[in-house]
Amino acid sequence: MKKAPLHVLIILGMIIGTLWGILASHFGWVQFTINWIKPFGSIFINLLKLVAVPLVIVTIVGGITSLSDTTKLTRIGSKTLGWFVAISVISSTIGLIFVLVVAPGKLLPESKRDELKVQYADDVSVRVSAANEVKNNGPLRILEDLVPGNIFYAAQDNRNMLQVIFFSVLFGIGIVLSPKDKTAGLRSFFLGVNEAMLKMVHVIMKFAPIGVMALIAGLLVDLAGDSPREAIDLLKVLGVFALTVIAAIIFLMFVVYPIIISRFTNFKYFDFLRKLLPAEILAFSTSSSAATLPVTLDCAERNLKLSNEVSGFVLPLGITINMHGTCIHQAISAVFIAQAFGHDLGMTEYLIVIFTCVLSSMGAPAVPGAGIVMLLIVLGSLGVEPEGLALILAIDRPLDMIRTIPNVVGDAVVAAIIDKSEKARAIPPPNV
Amino acid sequence: MKKMPLHTKILIGLVLGLVFGICSIQFGWSAEFTVNYIKPIGTIFVKSLKMIAVPLILASLIIGVANIGDISKLSRMGGKTLMIFLLTTVISTTVGLVLVNTFQPGKQLPQETRENLMSLYNSTAADKADVAAGIKSGTPLQPLIDIVPENIVQAATDNSAMLQVVFFAIIVGIALLQIPKEKGKYVVGFFDGLNDVVIKLVEYIMVIAPYGVFALIASLIVEIAGDDPQKAFELLTALLWYSLTVIGGLLIMMTIVYPLMLRFFSKIKYVNFFRAMRPAMLLGFSTSSSSATLPVTMERVEKKLGVSEEVSSFVLPLGATINMNGTSLYQGVAAVFIAQALGLDLSIGSQIMIVLTATLAAVGSAGVPGAGMVMLVIVLESVGIPTAGIALIVAPDRILDMVRTMVNLTGDAAVTVVVASTEGELTHPEDIEG
Repeated sequence: MKKAPLHVLIILGMIIGTLWGILASHFGWVQFTINWIKPFGSIFINLLKLVAVPLVIVTIVGGITSLSDTTKLTRIGSKTLGWFVAISVISSTIGLIFVLVVAPGKLLPESKRDELKVQYADDVSVRVSAANEVKNNGPLRILEDLVPGNIFYAAQDNRNMLQVIFFSVLFGIGIVLSPKDKTAGLRSFFLGVNEAMLKMVHVIMKFAPIGVMALIAGLLVDLAGDSPREAIDLLKVLGVFALTVIAAIIFLMFVVYPIIISRFTNFKYFDFLRKLLPAEILAFSTSSSAATLPVTLDCAERNLKLSNEVSGFVLPLGITINMHGTCIHQAISAVFIAQAFGHDLGMTEYLIVIFTCVLSSMGAPAVPGAGIVMLLIVLGSLGVEPEGLALILAIDRPLDMIRTIPNVVGDAVVAAIIDKSEKARAIPPPNV
Repeated sequence: MKKMPLHTKILIGLVLGLVFGICSIQFGWSAEFTVNYIKPIGTIFVKSLKMIAVPLILASLIIGVANIGDISKLSRMGGKTLMIFLLTTVISTTVGLVLVNTFQPGKQLPQETRENLMSLYNSTAADKADVAAGIKSGTPLQPLIDIVPENIVQAATDNSAMLQVVFFAIIVGIALLQIPKEKGKYVVGFFDGLNDVVIKLVEYIMVIAPYGVFALIASLIVEIAGDDPQKAFELLTALLWYSLTVIGGLLIMMTIVYPLMLRFFSKIKYVNFFRAMRPAMLLGFSTSSSSATLPVTMERVEKKLGVSEEVSSFVLPLGATINMNGTSLYQGVAAVFIAQALGLDLSIGSQIMIVLTATLAAVGSAGVPGAGMVMLVIVLESVGIPTAGIALIVAPDRILDMVRTMVNLTGDAAVTVVVASTEGELTHPEDIEG
């Protein structure tokens, strides 16, 4: 048999996984799937996450040390942040417009709403207490949390990625500004580890088709497992909401991104998407941009040919503070819940929604499930009942998978833009 | 504007913080503003110093030990260092006990005020008592057992396990000495670079020091004076006496004990020593963490006092964790103050016991703000004073913590100079400028 390219194999794995999941829930092979197939998916995710922290450290440190001076870093840094914020604002606005036009909340029957409220009451109360904790913190708490009290402690938890990034950036700057002969050993160490990590990613990705198959099969069984009827019921009720989210994400990915890509880079958008395909599939099946990071980095450097110093800085930063899919989802969720409970929102409230969605997607990094928790704060500032969270928790998982795709693609889009503008700087046009 | 030296800026930050805090109380500015927008700057500053502490200890100790290049020298210097540390700790605890027995600050406190205070601080005191109970359950040699980490990465994740990191770093350094140079050169090169980079990072962090110090002082004052000042007057007088006793003891250390030490064992004039160490002392005062101050102490001792890097990078990190003259003095005074306030009489035997425990406690407590409090509970338990009495001294603790940290690191520096001078590792002590 001729060797098929990896992304074909991954898609094949996805199809087989879907088929298996449907068959399994139909014929009652649920227990078998959970015991003997799902673990391979978990192993695959763990393998990817295993690489994440060391990879973030070495790519950032390596990327910064390859910069000749720190002014370049400041320039790349501020450009990156600017694009992150700009596209996040656009995403939230898209979400807001879609939810206002479709108004899915007004379609939700009141009986169903109360039913859901009872069903998910426990889940909600856990998040509410988490949200209260966040609310009690001072407004500068986000800055405080950026600085790790102990770098080894920060590195032992994937949730502290932002602290690890902060330290790595500082550390990289320290290396650049120290005498070259003293740090030669340190530099070659980081370069070596970087090579080794990327090799590890290649090896792990050989396992991807099986991993993706197991992930999808396990997920389908989990979702529909015991009572497929219930899942379909839910989908009927919340279908319009889910469709609104999906439509907004499609709009972002097939209208907004292509415009940005064709305006600011030399890529053809479909070529761009195809080259990122492995990352997109992984984002969908793992619903974690951190787990996808190793593959995103690999795609960006090998397929898109982005320079290491840009992708090594923009992509790790993007996984925590640049989440376009999450922005859309939060804006739609907040307004959906408000509509379902019969609140009328005015222009001020809409601005609050956009503002808080952008802020919350940039992250309260120390809080697990930060997105949902921050959503509660948005609801609170709008004066909407926090119990409304129950409505969207029900189908959060599948939407989480979908919204992770633009989260990952968005990072790559920004990386491509920065790369183009940096390269344009390096080779000035002939007429200058 | 002309470039100001760092310690001047820190001092300005300190004074401004003081003024801001007092004004804020006087004019009734919102405490919430201070807590929300000023305190975080201080927190960030302290956190970034903590962040750098473990990498610094690892790199500086491994390189320090590996650079000594002579294992016999290491063990001789190590033994000497430990002896001097032990000696100064015993002296400082004794000074504290003598003072507190002479002035008897605990007798100033009326009964009912004490009860009020007890209920006020109850929860905090109970929490710390819990922690200490866990530590106390071991044998007398438990501190020795605790020095050896079971897992070095886990030890490195915990700032209060600094002593374990020190132990590991020393062993790695010794091991590096005993393998062929050819094989070890990559590891040495790595840590050498790491050491340089970490010191660079410390320089950056110190740029925000004046703002950090301002924020720390301002928020401290605002938070301490939250209550009605009139009511707490009596208590304040007693605490004032107590604080004065501690500070008096610390002053004796700074103005009598250390000068004598330097005079007998080195050629450095105390005035020069004091002048050189001033920035480190100020920083220690405002961060109340000797490990956070360690980078600055190191820099001053090497650059201004001419101590060789081999000695300073060995003695100072070790001293930051095991030599705490100020803390042990404070523990002696605090234990007796509480006993006096509760009307307990302490025999000579129990007082000697305090000296011993305070010395060991100082060895065991890490260079992190607040660790001294946990160790105090152990001291109290060892002489049978009710542990709840610790509630009495929580209020001025923060301020005293600042002062005693200053003494801790001055003691470290003094010992470093003595060790360096007797080892002949003190270069050009004559050409020292202010």
